[in-house]
Amino acid sequence: MIKEKTIWKLLGKMVMIFGIVLTLGPMYIMIITAFKPLPEAAKSFFALPSAFYIGNFVELFSRNKFWNYAANSLMISTISMTIVVFFVPTVSYAIARNFNNRYYRFLYYYILLGLFVPFQIIMLPLVKQMTKLNLLNRQGLILLYVSFSLIRGVFLFVGYIRAIPRDIEEAAYIDGCNVFSTYTRIIVHLIKPMIATLMIIDILWFWNDFMLPLLLLNKSSDYWTLPLFQYNFKTQYSFNYPMSFTAYFMSMVPIVIIYCFLQKYIITGISAGAVKS
Amino acid sequence: MFYLKGKIDTNKLIYFMFSLPALLLYSFFYIYSVICGIYYSMTDWNGIDISYNIIGLDNFRRLLTDERFWNSLSITVYYAAALVVIVISAALAMALILDSLVRFKTFFKSIFFFPAMLSSVTVALIWDQLFFRAIPVIGKGLGIGLLSQSPLASTKTALNAVILVNSWQAIALPIVIFVAGLQTIPKEIYEASSIDGANSFQRFRYITLPYLIPTLTVNFVLTLKSGLTVFDYVYAMTNGGPAKATEIISVLIYKHGFQEMRFALANAEAVILFIIIATLSYIQIKISGKGGVISE
Repeated sequence: MIKEKTIWKLLGKMVMIFGIVLTLGPMYIMIITAFKPLPEAAKSFFALPSAFYIGNFVELFSRNKFWNYAANSLMISTISMTIVVFFVPTVSYAIARNFNNRYYRFLYYYILLGLFVPFQIIMLPLVKQMTKLNLLNRQGLILLYVSFSLIRGVFLFVGYIRAIPRDIEEAAYIDGCNVFSTYTRIIVHLIKPMIATLMIIDILWFWNDFMLPLLLLNKSSDYWTLPLFQYNFKTQYSFNYPMSFTAYFMSMVPIVIIYCFLQKYIITGISAGAVKS
Repeated sequence: MFYLKGKIDTNKLIYFMFSLPALLLYSFFYIYSVICGIYYSMTDWNGIDISYNIIGLDNFRRLLTDERFWNSLSITVYYAAALVVIVISAALAMALILDSLVRFKTFFKSIFFFPAMLSSVTVALIWDQLFFRAIPVIGKGLGIGLLSQSPLASTKTALNAVILVNSWQAIALPIVIFVAGLQTIPKEIYEASSIDGANSFQRFRYITLPYLIPTLTVNFVLTLKSGLTVFDYVYAMTNGGPAKATEIISVLIYKHGFQEMRFALANAEAVILFIIIATLSYIQIKISGKGGVISE
């Protein structure tokens, strides 16, 4: 018995270490290579940099419109996020509190249809439609993010709000509140945890998304977001890979910082969101 | 609708105003595109000309005998199946080990979850460089001929290499979901079973696994769907090559639609993918009610 247990434990520890090396290894290579000049990187790929070389960063910031792309990513993510936070809970509230009404029930299942649809089917017609509307730009992308975030958002929020007892709202109505003031004064505070979950899921999606920016913003480099820039950077700098790694590293920095502080909330938020939908 | 005994019911109006922007945006940008996609699949439009004809189901009939489409479909199915097998088994193993840890459980969990925070393009490009720079060095050092070049450059290894990179990132979320599932198992059952003389395998088979079935279903469906609709990794690493060895269905749709002027045919391919995904989702909903010892 004891022998069997120790063998399993040892094996488990070895697999565990292997997993950690496999997970962090690429990150390690990326970071050390970002601090090496090209000849050194070519000579010793796995070794720590011999000196703290920042030439790659200097070049990335000066020769490319890196800050421009970072600003695009930041602007698109935060604006979409802000609209979503106002917009998804309100429609979910209307649906959740009128579920016996045919219109709202229809709207709920109508939006949930999106859970069954792979993106590939709207990919091609969407580009035609956005071209016609002259929306192959950042504004168009924000509009799409807001529209598409409805699917998961409404699904998560309607269930959450319906589980909240109505007593408080009824008391508020008696005190003379209407739906709007009840929402802003009471409901918003009760659904804060779900708002946090939605914010985490969506901001990661907006910041990391590649597909929609590729379809909408690839024409002009002024519009590129960071993932799009990284992709296009590959063809431009394939020989100078310390530069590429520097670019990947820089686009990761904000995420790493946020993750260090909020990992607990991020992990529970994302896994709860995934399990429910 | 909003008139009640001649006076406007403000509350009903507010509810309606809450729902209106969602209805309009979603209909206009989502549902309208889906309908257009299905409509285009029945035309012969190349995506650029002003005029085109409606040709019914001809595109689908053509796809039935289209070798490139079948090649792509079988690659996609292989991709999704391999991804599911790798991700589910590795994530389950990691979760079991994590669950058995006494210390640093949360710390290690956050390390394993970290890849989920990254953009799939970043992951693809980092591994692309690693394959290109590191694998040949290792291959030469060990004298393995297969590893003397980037695995993405050979038709034999490219697809599996992409699947491994995808797994590297896709495993993060299932690990966390499995760990959460393992924590719902009452510890007394394990104690009772060891008194009864059950070994580790029996404990896993008859206690852990039945309790994990709901979690397993979630991870299975999540991974399967992401495998069938994958685009970013393949597009960024191989763009379908070498020699169409990694041309999964999304990349084929993208190429047909935007690069090869076969817009209508691409839409027909997308409709077929839609039918597959919708069927899977339907089965998932049917199953998720049943099975397992606990249902949430």
